[in-house]
Amino acid sequence: MHEYAFFLGCIAPNRYPGCEASAIKTSEKVGIKLLPLKGASCCPAPGAFGSIDLNVWYAMAARNLVLAEEMKKDIALICNGCYKSIWEVNHILKHNDELRDQVNEVLAEIDMQFKGSIDVFHLAELYYNEEICGLQKIRDSVTTPLSGAKIACHYGCHLMKPQKERHFGDTENPMWFEELVSAIGAEPVQYRNKMQCCGAGGGVRGYDIVHSLDITNEKLINMREAGADAITELCPFCQLQFDRGQIEIKEKFGDVYNIPVLHFNELLGLAQGMSPQDLALDLHGINCTPFLKKVL
Amino acid sequence: MAAKTYNIPELDKKLADRRYHLSDSNPDFTKDVLKTSRTIANMCFQCGTCTGSCPSAPRSSYRIRLFMRRCVLGLENESLTDPDLWLCTTCYSCTDRCPRDIAPTDVIMAMRNLAFKRDIIPKNFLQTVQAIYKSGHGVPNNDVNRAARTKLGLDADPPTTHSYPEYIMGIQKILDHFGLKENADRILKGD
Repeated sequence: MHEYAFFLGCIAPNRYPGCEASAIKTSEKVGIKLLPLKGASCCPAPGAFGSIDLNVWYAMAARNLVLAEEMKKDIALICNGCYKSIWEVNHILKHNDELRDQVNEVLAEIDMQFKGSIDVFHLAELYYNEEICGLQKIRDSVTTPLSGAKIACHYGCHLMKPQKERHFGDTENPMWFEELVSAIGAEPVQYRNKMQCCGAGGGVRGYDIVHSLDITNEKLINMREAGADAITELCPFCQLQFDRGQIEIKEKFGDVYNIPVLHFNELLGLAQGMSPQDLALDLHGINCTPFLKKVL
Repeated sequence: MAAKTYNIPELDKKLADRRYHLSDSNPDFTKDVLKTSRTIANMCFQCGTCTGSCPSAPRSSYRIRLFMRRCVLGLENESLTDPDLWLCTTCYSCTDRCPRDIAPTDVIMAMRNLAFKRDIIPKNFLQTVQAIYKSGHGVPNNDVNRAARTKLGLDADPPTTHSYPEYIMGIQKILDHFGLKENADRILKGD
């Protein structure tokens, strides 16, 4: 068993608990144990806090990192926004002594110190990593292949970009997420402008909802044209934007899609035999039942 | 082509005037942006790849290339008072495609930091600060969700600050160190 401190963030535990439950259960079946990271907070939201004062963003993210350092465990998480805060601040503070000293001055007030002794991973990259899990283990864990399901993969932004500072390779047309989706028996579909943003980030969802939804709408048009039965993503905030966003788009623009939106962990949970009730799919804004009838 | 109007006479006049006035330039602004963004914004040669990659550009008057130019020219007021500053979704497409290896996204973030120092900030950003100060979460738990969590076999509250509120004081100390909550309250009250 590979053990990790499970950093939850906000939207997964507090809006889509199925993401949290499925992450814990699906990972255990492929040899990954997610341990609670007690006292963790918001990552904090990179759009909001990064825009207000980057120094606060560094210090707040560092506090979460120190909690995992104290556990002596690497962090695994399931949200691109959290990845931006937690992975990136860890990376910056490990490589910038001046900033680390500044942050540690603040952390000293609460008897904490950032040491830079752990690493941060997105659960999806652990699934893909042959040394930790790998595609074959994912394939072997599947009991109900989602055959016949056409899935549009949304990578999101803050996991892979900016490319130069990350380690995921190509950000114009990556295919590793599609490989994961194929491994659970579903059929990934290619669609126009696949790497476009969902529209929620940078505080734009809260600042100008119509502008934000217009970006989402463009993605939904492209996904529908490719014949997607469902959307899968790696980020609960993107999930919220596509899922609740479709309801808002219907109200504001009159466009109706009804494409269910499932986090990859939820999709993997279904393929591993978890029931829709185990995933709280009824909390989703878009009804998942027609999709479930088709695949299960 | 008709120009967008913001109904702020001073700003509209500024935007209509395409000439560069030396008196509008603050060289320290360029330096401040470079320092906070930690990117070589001064190397921008205005190719426009950033704007061409931007998901916000086709649906608004937001032009990241314009902000890059303003940065190089030190046009502080024009940058920080332009409402378009807040339309960047921080998707980093421009950063990945910039042929000069600049991170325009981080230039925007730096400008937003500098705008906040002048109390220019949309409300929703400050409301997130208040939520985190109170509960540790930007998006806190609620009763519907607690019931759903229990049904899933999870604890009603996640093992975060929600289950361990004793950690919230540390978060408050960090935010107070920067005076962030106080500033958020003050700015929101003034609106």
